[in-house]
Amino acid sequence: MKTQIVNLIAFFVATSLTGIAQAELKWEQTQIELHPAPGDATAVGSFKYKNTGGAVVHFKSVTTSCGCTTAARKKDDVAPGETGEITATFKVGASTGTQQKTVRVETDDPASPVTILTLRAMIPQMLELRPSFVYWENSEPPKPKTILAKAAKELHANNLKVTSSSGEFVASVSSIGQNQFKIEVQPHDTSHPVSATLTVQPDSGGKPVYATARVVNPPSTQ
Amino acid sequence: MRRGGPIREGLVLLCLAFLPALGETIYWRNQMSWSHPPVQDEITVAQARSLGGSILWVDARPAEEFAAGHIPGALLLNAEQWDSLLPVMLNAWIPGQKIIVYCGKQSCGASREVARRLRDEANLANVFVLEGGWEAWEESKK
Repeated sequence: MKTQIVNLIAFFVATSLTGIAQAELKWEQTQIELHPAPGDATAVGSFKYKNTGGAVVHFKSVTTSCGCTTAARKKDDVAPGETGEITATFKVGASTGTQQKTVRVETDDPASPVTILTLRAMIPQMLELRPSFVYWENSEPPKPKTILAKAAKELHANNLKVTSSSGEFVASVSSIGQNQFKIEVQPHDTSHPVSATLTVQPDSGGKPVYATARVVNPPSTQ
Repeated sequence: MRRGGPIREGLVLLCLAFLPALGETIYWRNQMSWSHPPVQDEITVAQARSLGGSILWVDARPAEEFAAGHIPGALLLNAEQWDSLLPVMLNAWIPGQKIIVYCGKQSCGASREVARRLRDEANLANVFVLEGGWEAWEESKK
């Protein structure tokens, strides 16, 4: 019996070690969360790796989930014991809120041929509108609807300027304190479908934000 | 042979059987790809088809992927061009209409984020995410 148990232990240990030996490229982390400062043009994350196996690992391809993100590697082949990194750069542009981008790394490592690296960037919003969409059905009285605007402290906004792309809507702004504003939007009438983009611009400058106002036809009944 | 011997041996063998699994679990602890639990706002292609015609499809993929092919009638809306694309989508929406957002394998988190923003920022209801995204739609045609 003792011999059988020893054989079994040897078998299981050998099985485990075989699995581990196949795992060559080990990533320090496969998910990175970034918090760029307001106004930053890019958010950059570095995914570090080490070849812990006994053979060279070759990168077959490194691709990103969108044109707004680039991924750079300094080498195509990673020798045993060698370390390196893949740098992912996300162009912030007009994006706000949580942005999640992925980098797909394909190697000739048989244990892990494809690795997905995830870059999460939390882009601060300097001016936030809630809701960013107001609408009236065309049977509805043309009463004002409210959009709340919250400005970041860094914006130093004392007032907001709201302009409508259509003369069919009017908008007025009032401060409600603590960097918050109330925007009241009202259509002249709701007898016909019409829509407008409202451009909201802080008096202290900075990027404008947009809201949509619309008078819609009621849903058709069958 | 002593009484209880086979039971004890069986337990020993069972414990030994866990060793490789335990070793691999510890070794791969940072690289495990756990599947997400099912989310209530996810909808399958079959469920979407059974809803009938009153669906506004929203494609959350990058513009170049949308240009290469998309669900018929879908509108492009992604984070990169949010300010310019959102008004187009909102002007196409009909009150009460269901919105189904989808993305692709490469941008799998995008649809969830677009759906969240439509709910939280535009205050829209009935916003769903297509399970399996564009690939599931393509697969369903086979």
